[in-house]
Amino acid sequence: MNLIGISINHRTASIELREALHLSSDEITELTALLKHSALSSGFILSTCNRTEIFGFTKDGKYNFESLLNPLLSFKKINGLSPENFDKFFSCSAVKHIFKVASGIDSLLIGDSQILGQIKEAFQTSEDLSFIDSLTKRLFDSAVKAGRRAIKETFIGQGAVTISFAAVQVVQKIFSNLDSKTALVIGAGETGELAATHLSEKGIHKLVITNRTLEKAEALARKLNAESIAFENITDNLHLFDIVFSATSSQSFIIGKGSVVQMMKKRRGTPVCLMDIALPRDIDPSVRELENVFYHDIDSLNVIVKQNLKKRESELSKVDKIIIEEMINFFSWYNTLEVIPTIVSVRDFFESIANDELSKIKHKVTEADYEKVEDMTRRLLGRLLHYPTIRLKEIAELGKNPQEVINHSVTVKNLFNLNENSITTDES
Amino acid sequence: MLGAVHTLNIFLPVLYAASFAVYYSDFIKQKNFLYNSKRIFLFITLVLHTFYLLARTIEFNHPPITNKYEIFTVLSFAIAFSYFVLELLSDIRGTGVFIISFALVFQVISSLLIEDLIEVKEVLRNRLLGLHVISALLGYSGFIMSAVYGLLFTSLYKEIKLNKFGLIFERLPSLETLEKLSFYSVVIGFVLLTFSIIIGIIWLPEAFPNFSFFDPKLISTFIVWFVFGFGIVMKTFFGWYGKKVIKFFLAGFILMLLSMFLFNILADSFHSFY
Repeated sequence: MNLIGISINHRTASIELREALHLSSDEITELTALLKHSALSSGFILSTCNRTEIFGFTKDGKYNFESLLNPLLSFKKINGLSPENFDKFFSCSAVKHIFKVASGIDSLLIGDSQILGQIKEAFQTSEDLSFIDSLTKRLFDSAVKAGRRAIKETFIGQGAVTISFAAVQVVQKIFSNLDSKTALVIGAGETGELAATHLSEKGIHKLVITNRTLEKAEALARKLNAESIAFENITDNLHLFDIVFSATSSQSFIIGKGSVVQMMKKRRGTPVCLMDIALPRDIDPSVRELENVFYHDIDSLNVIVKQNLKKRESELSKVDKIIIEEMINFFSWYNTLEVIPTIVSVRDFFESIANDELSKIKHKVTEADYEKVEDMTRRLLGRLLHYPTIRLKEIAELGKNPQEVINHSVTVKNLFNLNENSITTDES
Repeated sequence: MLGAVHTLNIFLPVLYAASFAVYYSDFIKQKNFLYNSKRIFLFITLVLHTFYLLARTIEFNHPPITNKYEIFTVLSFAIAFSYFVLELLSDIRGTGVFIISFALVFQVISSLLIEDLIEVKEVLRNRLLGLHVISALLGYSGFIMSAVYGLLFTSLYKEIKLNKFGLIFERLPSLETLEKLSFYSVVIGFVLLTFSIIIGIIWLPEAFPNFSFFDPKLISTFIVWFVFGFGIVMKTFFGWYGKKVIKFFLAGFILMLLSMFLFNILADSFHSFY
């Protein structure tokens, strides 16, 4: 199999290099054209903030990694980036790597579920650019199947593995439905945005963003279809929120115990979640002593993250098993590709003999008799070729060694004197 | 028929134990096949338990409420049945192990000590009494379930407060859901107990010449009924929420236990048959 690939990921390069190499969709289009022209007959490019992968089937059948590396390195021209920053794969190892990426076990956060969607997008882009053939398509289908099975049949994608998602998980253990709750996110930076996005995705009823710079809060609010309030109004409005996420860079507490006591009085004791995902902390931790106040900071949420990562790691062997199963399925199919031309040749050979013999009697018998003979001949051919065809396919599907399949194909071709270029029906 | 009664009397604890084991395994391991099969286990157990209760009624010609151990098997059925209905309606399956353990305990005690009673007081053959007792038992099973959900709420509340994210945190539904389940169980229990009390008020004066509204058992039942009713009103109309309402219902449950054991055992009542 002439499949080769290169991969830059968290094991091979720093985050700065990975981010610098990230390819936009326009860049992928441009690079695909280059690769199509120079090295690959089909393939795909996957590029996320954490990894960039180029895989494809070589035109010349050789495993020449420079044919992928050189166009990429000259295309992006990044200081410090060298061929050593790339993992290289070919044939079976390339298929295995693609399946591992699709099932999320090659990700920085094991079990990352986003990667499967990103792989689908990468294949879709390739398809749009006519960079896909039946073999790549099958490879894609098998990779997606492996990824889906990993998610469905194991716990590899279960549990929160980021602080902000762990915070949302705790919130969901307190409130049954977020669609009737109101949340405030303090801080419109990266962490705040992530928390707000998670809440929005979980269907929070009302989301309000606040930030020292109101414009930033308004911009994030617009992005997430939320509302914004002025930073100065936090304390006065605190009681209106069931959930508060705080993620600012403030050096002192933004919410003190007194504010929370007042808040709980106004709320008549109804539960509230205070998620302090800032470092240093934004909320006085002593508020956790108050009844129906659920306060969590980075340290406590980190306990969940670590537990979940450990659980995901314990699922790796199950995912590996799925990958092996899907590799066997893929290569079983791939091996049949070797025998298909042989099967076609044998059938064509028999068909042509039958047609030749039928043409000899066509004008010597009545039309009705001819139809009967022709019908009988087709049935005879079908029965004669049924088991050889099935057997050849079985050998290909079950054959552990591709050479075994090739040997059988050659034997059959020799027996019937079939050469690659022509089929002769000459009896001589 | 008697053979079937005796066989099921032995098998019911085994079936409840099997259902408990499946629910427990699912709680610990969370396997898909356990998740899907546990409800089937409980359903089969309930079907056979229904058959057992009917068979006893037909065989001994009286509803199975004539002694403590018959009451225990009805209570076991009522708890398991109420949970089954609640699980079907809410599709929350993570709490079954805790509820079914009560059904299992009551059934084991019943199966070990139950006797074949053919001769019973005539009053115990009355159909209104059957309805009165069974609705009361279903009501009490509602209160038992509410208490279990209340205890689960308290455990989860503590785990979240103390940053302990163990099995309880992972497997139980949210605090809000547990509170709702506890409340719904109390409401169902309260309605059925009210029904039982109404039947009792209609029928008891006719059946017992020495009937008195100041009977200790009646008074204690009214107190239990009032306490749960008060909790329902406070939760519905005065915004009682979370730990407060859970604590109140747990207190109601303790009061119910005291009423059942102390008043029934210590006090002299016309309303005592066993």
